[in-house]
Amino acid sequence: MCHQTVSLAARYLEENGIPTVVMGCAKDIVEYAGVPRFLFSDFPLGNPAGRPHDPESQRLTLELALRVLETAPGPRTTVQNPLIWSASPDWKLDYSNVAMLSRDEIARRRAEFDREKEKARAVRDKSAAE
Amino acid sequence: MSNRPDGWDQAADHDVPIPYRERISSYYQTLGYGAPYRWAHYAEVPFTPLEKPLAKSRIGLVTTAAPYQPDKGDQGPGAPYNGAAKFYRVYSGDTAADHDLRISHIGYDRAHTSATDSNSWFPLPLLREVAKSGRIGELAPRFHGAPTNRSQRVTLEQDCPELLTRLQEDRVDAALLVAV
Repeated sequence: MCHQTVSLAARYLEENGIPTVVMGCAKDIVEYAGVPRFLFSDFPLGNPAGRPHDPESQRLTLELALRVLETAPGPRTTVQNPLIWSASPDWKLDYSNVAMLSRDEIARRRAEFDREKEKARAVRDKSAAE
Repeated sequence: MSNRPDGWDQAADHDVPIPYRERISSYYQTLGYGAPYRWAHYAEVPFTPLEKPLAKSRIGLVTTAAPYQPDKGDQGPGAPYNGAAKFYRVYSGDTAADHDLRISHIGYDRAHTSATDSNSWFPLPLLREVAKSGRIGELAPRFHGAPTNRSQRVTLEQDCPELLTRLQEDRVDAALLVAV
């Protein structure tokens, strides 16, 4: 939900007079919502600000986001970070891809998901009561 | 690398941005959770031009990462999804200080990245350097944490107005939003 949250926030801030730029790795979610300015990095989710332990890539990624902020000619401006995650694109096949999972693995994940959802619900209920 | 018939210099068919909406929908349907989630979708997109050069602008930072809470279970590198570490209210932190922000409450790609370097999702230390270099005018005094809520209504009616209020209090000229 991260990319959706941030997209909704960018839209809201922009409607209220604050220019924004979104940094993220889920291109389809951000563009489906529709944001003014977006620096897309084609990396596994979790690395919107550059590759881990690679300060040069983090510097380039932030600089690109700042350039998108200052030069975007209009809304829905997406720029793709030219850096790649790895020489092979095969990592893109794995994320939440049911075609890659066995029946046992699907059952195991369902049990795990139910457990964590219950914990999150407890935090949310507590937060709502405050 | 390429599996394309028309040229060895072309990219592989699956070398495209991951279609997350499709993947996530079919994933949860396969796990047995009924109707697919309806993602936020707008035809109109607002746009506010930057009023000043970046070198004279005050920049705000918004993150979806969560402060580490020692009593909330494993939030370390590679921890499984941790629902207890989620937060449901906007929070703020001092940009002059260092912060231990984690992402175990988020569905990041646990197979291909390990969450061992927070600079890859929370660029606060680098932003301080960039401000010092003069590339941006200054960094706002606070950064803000945005709750990642499944409910778009809660995000729009509760969290977005709160973020706006705080960024206005900080008198930012523009905001950088980092989605983990």
